[in-house]
Amino acid sequence: MQDPSRLPNLRPKGDNADPEDLPRHRNGITPQMHGRFPDYNVLDETDHWDEVTREVVLDRVENTPGIRFFTAEEAATLKAYCDTITHQHREPRIPVLSFVDEKLLKGQGDGYQYADMPDDGTAWRLVAQGLEYSAQREWRASSFAGAPISTREDIVAVFADGKLQGGPWEQLNVSRVFKLTTKHICQAFYSHPWAWNEIGFGGPAYPRGYAAFGSDHLGDREQWEPIQATP
Amino acid sequence: MSFMHKGSFAMPKDNDSPFLLDRHKRGLQNLDRMARYPKNAPVDLLIVGAGAGGLVLAQRLARAGWKVCVLEKGPFWDPDRDWVSDEKGSSHLYWTDKRIIGGDDPVEMGKNNSGQGVGGSMTHFAGYVPRFHPSDFEVRTRDGVGADWPISYWDLKPYFERVELELPVAGQDWPWGDPHSYPHAPHPVAGAANRAWKGAREYGIEMRVGPVAITNGVFGNRPHCIYRGFCLEGCKVNAKASPLITHLPDGIEHGVEVRADSMAVRIEVDAAGDRVAGVTYMHDGREEFQPADAVAVCGYAIESPRLLLNSTSARWPNGLANDNDLVGRYVMVQGATQVAARFPLELRMYKAPPPEISSEDFYETDESRGFARGFSIQTISPMPIEWAAHVLADGHWGAALREYMRDYNHWSVLGVLCELLPAPDNRVTLADERDQYGMPIARFDYTQGANDKANIAYAKKILQEIWEGAGAQDQLTIDRYAHLVGGCRMGFTAEDSVVDASHRTWGVENLYVVDGSVLPTQGAANPALVIMALADRCAELLKAKRSARASRSARGARRRAGAARWIARTHAGLSRGRGR
Ligand SMILES: Cc1cc2nc3c(=O)[nH]c(=O)nc-3n(C[C@H](O)[C@H](O)[C@H](O)COP(=O)(O)OP(=O)(O)OC[C@H]3O[C@@H](n4cnc5c(N)ncnc54)[C@H](O)[C@@H]3O)c2cc1C
Ligand code: SF4
Repeated sequence: MQDPSRLPNLRPKGDNADPEDLPRHRNGITPQMHGRFPDYNVLDETDHWDEVTREVVLDRVENTPGIRFFTAEEAATLKAYCDTITHQHREPRIPVLSFVDEKLLKGQGDGYQYADMPDDGTAWRLVAQGLEYSAQREWRASSFAGAPISTREDIVAVFADGKLQGGPWEQLNVSRVFKLTTKHICQAFYSHPWAWNEIGFGGPAYPRGYAAFGSDHLGDREQWEPIQATP
Repeated sequence: MSFMHKGSFAMPKDNDSPFLLDRHKRGLQNLDRMARYPKNAPVDLLIVGAGAGGLVLAQRLARAGWKVCVLEKGPFWDPDRDWVSDEKGSSHLYWTDKRIIGGDDPVEMGKNNSGQGVGGSMTHFAGYVPRFHPSDFEVRTRDGVGADWPISYWDLKPYFERVELELPVAGQDWPWGDPHSYPHAPHPVAGAANRAWKGAREYGIEMRVGPVAITNGVFGNRPHCIYRGFCLEGCKVNAKASPLITHLPDGIEHGVEVRADSMAVRIEVDAAGDRVAGVTYMHDGREEFQPADAVAVCGYAIESPRLLLNSTSARWPNGLANDNDLVGRYVMVQGATQVAARFPLELRMYKAPPPEISSEDFYETDESRGFARGFSIQTISPMPIEWAAHVLADGHWGAALREYMRDYNHWSVLGVLCELLPAPDNRVTLADERDQYGMPIARFDYTQGANDKANIAYAKKILQEIWEGAGAQDQLTIDRYAHLVGGCRMGFTAEDSVVDASHRTWGVENLYVVDGSVLPTQGAANPALVIMALADRCAELLKAKRSARASRSARGARRRAGAARWIARTHAGLSRGRGR
């Protein structure tokens, strides 16, 4: 993708990128099996990670926590919401909501709560109710999760502008809860090695460290680091 | 380069910490020799908070023969065992207990500005350690805004120099403020920062490498940096400084005891209320009390005010040392907008320490800009989760979010630190909700003033222009804050401040505040170095005071022991009462 005019800020509004343009991933997994680094699997590097880090990161890949904080109904709505935010419309998916659920279940806050917001868990539950409310009332869908992707995206676009109203939304600062939930979603998504494969991030780097970070001789890429494909 | 000759091998004279560490193990090696003070006799100094201020103070006074005990809410870290080379897996380093945030421009807490555990926030600070400028100490006089400090740059200068040698600081000769040089040579600059440097140069801005508290050469048993880029996740290498490794090892050797997992909930006063007798704290779900001849609060800008406000008594109904309703006021943050820029070649900004090069060209007031004070510019390289926050902040989600994320390796990020001015209503108060220790949680309200907004807007524009000039193909902007200071500010009289120039609280003879909360203004520099320098200076003053007093006072000692017995009895009564 050497042509930057395709980047979202630069192309006509509403003109979506086509991930199908991206090469299919060939080594290991990326979400939906496309990415910029088709032969890169960060999990090939685990021998170079320290033991404590390896345990923490592999646990994330191998042991998906079950949904225990949210009810089955909430989970259905919110899973569709997470998929919309992360544009995950087919397998393999990073199980974002499972990680969010675990965080809320364990009460792992981020260290603050806005004075005009409920606690994080309540805020998430209200978002589940609010998305159903808006989908059914305003968009005349059977449910948020059951609505077509384009409808879900329309609803989320209004959410992102802080403009969803009525029902459960009246108990929330809508812009702030969008920020809160998308932050949690990205914490889950971009801590997952599959996402690192997609974006070409080096992952854990202790004890090996880096030598190739911009010198004239070594360049910017270690020998083990991925080569970027130009679709 | 010119500073190599100064020798990367200069070592501090009165701090053996780098030699007390092990070359191959990161945890402290002398814990089995750590003092254990009895809880029924006063220690000379009881410190609350094992961070930048607290541990420098502890090490200095222990060297002078004081019995020093430190209470720390968080764990006693062993980087080998407790820290990971992973962004999400590092959240236990942050103070993530809830705080309520309000005001018109609320400041999000946690990861970005508050640490916990032995070493404090510096265990996961980025590592920039610039000095304040001489002008920072006389903002009111020069610019008619903010406040003057009761001390000058020149009072602190020897302490800046001493701490720089101890961290040690690596960087180029520094042309701004009071020009100076650094003990370690500058680190090599990575591709992403190089791109930023080129842009700045073309724009006519001068940048320099550093200053960072990261070893660049042999330093006792601390290894060289391996450029792995996880400084904000805690350095598993012991290359980046935090007081856990730069001051505590020597402190332990001289009698510092650190009680980890110990949350101070109340400072107790004696019968008359003009002296403190010790601190009540929670450990393992139990309430404990440690008597002390003096107490230093070093819990940082939110927790120090919170602890004082929660320490009420008949003499101090509004909180300790709070006769004039100043505790918790004038808390400051810096405007820390970041602008990312896209380039055709891969830059892979996750490599090398995030702090690399900086400019203080805009630090001082320039009337033509239309606001008082200024900002500095620094490179900072977010890891993927932070990069996602950046992309979200620019308004992208769904396919666009994924797309900018996939483009991660092409971006370089510049940030600013804008000096925002102190305001009385930017303050910490106690909320109704209580935490796991039964203590009311803090509420922090923050609203920007007109000068603050103008500064941030101007600085953002400069960053965007730098990148335009550098030929960036696209830009993403995130408005954010960094750092915290103030809340127990230092000043000239009891009517304008919480502590005097020696860090002693107005009205309580033996209570000190020695941390970031005492700063009257915050400059456009990162705060850790000035906090450590202040603690070092405070220690000198305390040492001098004590040797002057040593000749007096078998009488005083008896009085103190009496007070401690009194408070121990009262305290026992209190906890029994509460238990029922
Ligand atoms: C992500 C991040 C990046 C940063 N980057 C930089 C940088 O590049 N350069 C820079 O100069 N600064 C930076 N800082 C800021 C710097 O780390 C702090 O300003 C500095 O450490 C504050 O020192 P302190 O002594 O006031 O408090 P701290 O170092 O935070 O220490 C306070 C300690 O007190 C403990 N404590 C608080 N209340 C209690 C209580 N009631 N009982 C027991 N213990 C208690 C806390 O757990 C903590 O360990 C950064 C901070 C963060 C979080
Ligand atoms: S980049 Fe260097 S200083 Fe930073 S964490 Fe890695 S080894 Fe430590």
